[in-house]
Amino acid sequence: MSTILKDVKKTFGNFQALKGIDLTIGDGEFVAIVGPSGCGKTTLLRLIAGFEEPTAGQIYMHDELIASATTCVAPEKRNLGMVFQAFALWPHMKVKEQVAFPLKYHRFAEASLKENKAKRVEEMLMLVGLQDFAERMPGDLSGGQKQRVAIARALAPSPALLLMDEPLSSLDAKLRIELRNEIQTIHRKTNTSIVYVTHDQSEALAMADKIVVMNNGTIEQVGTPKEIYFTPRTEFVARFIGKANVLKGRWHENYFYPLEKEDVKWQVPNVTDSMKMQSICPIRPEQLSLSKSGNGLSGVVRNVLFQGRETHFTVDIGTALIDIVESIDASFQVGDQVIVHPKEQKSKLM
Amino acid sequence: MKHAITPELKEKKNSSVNSKTIKWFIGSMSLLLIVLLFLLPVIRLFIMSFKNDDQFSFINYTTILAEASTWSMLRNTIIVVIGSTLLALVIGITLAWIIAYTDVRWKKVMQVLIIIPFVIPSYIVTIAWTQFTGSIDFIDINLKSHLGIIFVLGTSHFPLVYLFTVNVLKRIPKELEWAVRSSGGSKWVAFKEVTIPLALPGIVGGGMIAFLSNLDNFGIPAILGIPANITVLSTAIYQEVIGFGPNAFARAATLSVILAIVALLGSGLQWFLLKKSKVNETASVDDSPRYTLGRRKKWLEIVVWIFLVGISIIPLVSMVKTSLIRAYGLEFIRENITLKHYRYVLFEYDKAIQSMGTSLKLALITTIFCIVFGTIIAYIRMRKPSVIMRFVEVIVGFPYALPGTVMALSMIFAWMQPIPGWNPGIYGTIWILLIAYITRFMILQVRGSMTAISQVSMDLEEAAHVFGANTLDKWKVILLPLLLPGIISGAFLVLLTTLTELTVSSLLWSSGTETIGVVIYNFEQSGYTTHSTAFSVVVLAMMLVLALIVYGIQYVWKWRLNKG
Repeated sequence: MSTILKDVKKTFGNFQALKGIDLTIGDGEFVAIVGPSGCGKTTLLRLIAGFEEPTAGQIYMHDELIASATTCVAPEKRNLGMVFQAFALWPHMKVKEQVAFPLKYHRFAEASLKENKAKRVEEMLMLVGLQDFAERMPGDLSGGQKQRVAIARALAPSPALLLMDEPLSSLDAKLRIELRNEIQTIHRKTNTSIVYVTHDQSEALAMADKIVVMNNGTIEQVGTPKEIYFTPRTEFVARFIGKANVLKGRWHENYFYPLEKEDVKWQVPNVTDSMKMQSICPIRPEQLSLSKSGNGLSGVVRNVLFQGRETHFTVDIGTALIDIVESIDASFQVGDQVIVHPKEQKSKLM
Repeated sequence: MKHAITPELKEKKNSSVNSKTIKWFIGSMSLLLIVLLFLLPVIRLFIMSFKNDDQFSFINYTTILAEASTWSMLRNTIIVVIGSTLLALVIGITLAWIIAYTDVRWKKVMQVLIIIPFVIPSYIVTIAWTQFTGSIDFIDINLKSHLGIIFVLGTSHFPLVYLFTVNVLKRIPKELEWAVRSSGGSKWVAFKEVTIPLALPGIVGGGMIAFLSNLDNFGIPAILGIPANITVLSTAIYQEVIGFGPNAFARAATLSVILAIVALLGSGLQWFLLKKSKVNETASVDDSPRYTLGRRKKWLEIVVWIFLVGISIIPLVSMVKTSLIRAYGLEFIRENITLKHYRYVLFEYDKAIQSMGTSLKLALITTIFCIVFGTIIAYIRMRKPSVIMRFVEVIVGFPYALPGTVMALSMIFAWMQPIPGWNPGIYGTIWILLIAYITRFMILQVRGSMTAISQVSMDLEEAAHVFGANTLDKWKVILLPLLLPGIISGAFLVLLTTLTELTVSSLLWSSGTETIGVVIYNFEQSGYTTHSTAFSVVVLAMMLVLALIVYGIQYVWKWRLNKG
């Protein structure tokens, strides 16, 4: 029961939105597709849903061809549910009617669910904590409640695949964290396969089993959150997921000489060979440290952002700006001369 | 305000008390004037219908309702109005769905063709249709029948349904339909369960406006109905007034009250239906096509084009052909083609030439009045909303909401003897037309300016004040440049409507003050079809020139604004 995309391409006029996507979404898997706006992630989701048709390539669901350049199974004939960015609740229906709707029309919903609609609706509202809101209209709900209804609606027929299109991006920060936990819990409980599209890398890291990083219509890297975070394969992934500084320099015998300085020699773990070939080194802000003196790159502090738990520094080393996360004990001021160097290596990071 | 009160400011405070009294005085005088001009005539008409020999009585109603002709007239009205409203709904909704949701090409041109039958005065459309049906030899189509009137009314007013519906359809987020599809519902379920219920406000709004327009229309039932003895409420009132029978005015007033009640019931029903629905005005317009038709697209396009050209262009072509023919009924061949009818209406027939002057003069003065006062009313209504201003908006809209014949009749009563025993000599001159036009069409400008003002946010004005502009500077430098395109749109509507007005004019004209509409109607009634068609073509040309001028002004203005 998996969904497989084979060399899927999509063009809009002259614009190539997807340039050949190969991806497998396993049974019960939580896959996050992450990338900047315009990278093609939403198009990919719409292709899986059936709202767009691929220009080339094939999409299979449960070993059945559901979309290609010539065939396209209608969305309602695919075994899926969807949660939309702006909720897409029908403004003229009560909460319970929204959730009951797919029970009435979804052709893959089990007969037992369809027969006892009221019970299923109650069950779903309970799952998202809205059992007391069944009679409300969408206009009377807050943003977080609306999204919960949307999730309950999508899950009610127990679809094989749940598609989520930036479901948390129109909510405020606190609610996002709250619903993030909830979606994870729901995923564990229902074990539905989920494809979750987001532009927020921390959301993807926190929730997914598998992350797909997209850029410019292609997949940059697929892997577990830890793989993607610690061993980015491309400069883009390093910058987008780890917010890493990417320094130019020279690699020699597993040591990195930033800016090709012979006297500065860093040991940076988990750098892929492709990065080394390009003579670059991704290094995340928390891997770096600042000192008044010592061996490293010298620079001037340009910006200090106190964050409570930590302090973010931006240091100008002449040829680039480098971001560094330090503990709040670090007391450097804007304009200070500093030395940038990697933090003391902790063995477990290796 | 935390500023210390300096002597200078204190003085200002004193003078502002003074200016407050002046403002209050001006305000209440304006309110009184608005009530006198816009509301009082209707009240007098209402009272008139209950008067018999200066006594209060129901006798007008009992006599009229006892006549069999009244009931057949009411039956005609119901058949014609309901039939044409249904027709307008079917055409309007279908076209709105096609333009809003499918990927047919050339939508902008289609939209222009859709608007044409609505922009062209309905009496000209009727003349065009009679020429077209007359020119078809193989089927005998009788437009001078119930079905004929329904057809011409419906095809003239479907653009109202279209305009209301298409905007609502485009504002329904497509995700709402997608949510149906991902919940397992088909396209049809999405249409039935989501699109139609959510588009209902637009459909009902457009349908009600079409209903009122069908009820109010005079030109179409006058040209098609009167010769066939099919009388409806609007033509019945007209016939009472021009018949000058005993009690004519009282009888007409009574019919008017009946007509106004039907119209008000319609408006009330709309208000009731729309009150319950939740329109999402803030949802943005989504122009992207939602249904790709694939191979069916070509066929649908062909059908739409045939329909639109057939309804908007072909009747006009027939009309032009008739206007060029030497004598009515001759074949359209080179030997029979002549420009003599144009020469006649443009240079020889005094009344025609004079009517163009009269209508242009009336239209221009009305437009200027409406621009100034309509924009002032709109501005106060938008920026300082109060119960009084909402009341003012309703009152100003009254003469337009009333059927034209009713409105004209109320003008006669109001200005024949504004105060019993005093005749200021307004009725029977061009002044009554001017007053009637200004009061009837003021609301169009108010609405247009309100839309324009609503698009200029308050902070732009506040910013102007913060940076030191006074009220005059603010209007000159900030508001007028931003509002002008919107104000011009409203003014253009007023100008075109006034220029070709027939319903009100048909009751208020007098010898020497014939308007364009009256002259064309009189030509048509007297059977001078070649003259009526030629003059109609001239009027259409005039409207086209005006439209191009206004479009040009707006284009240049927007271009300058974007550049600057």
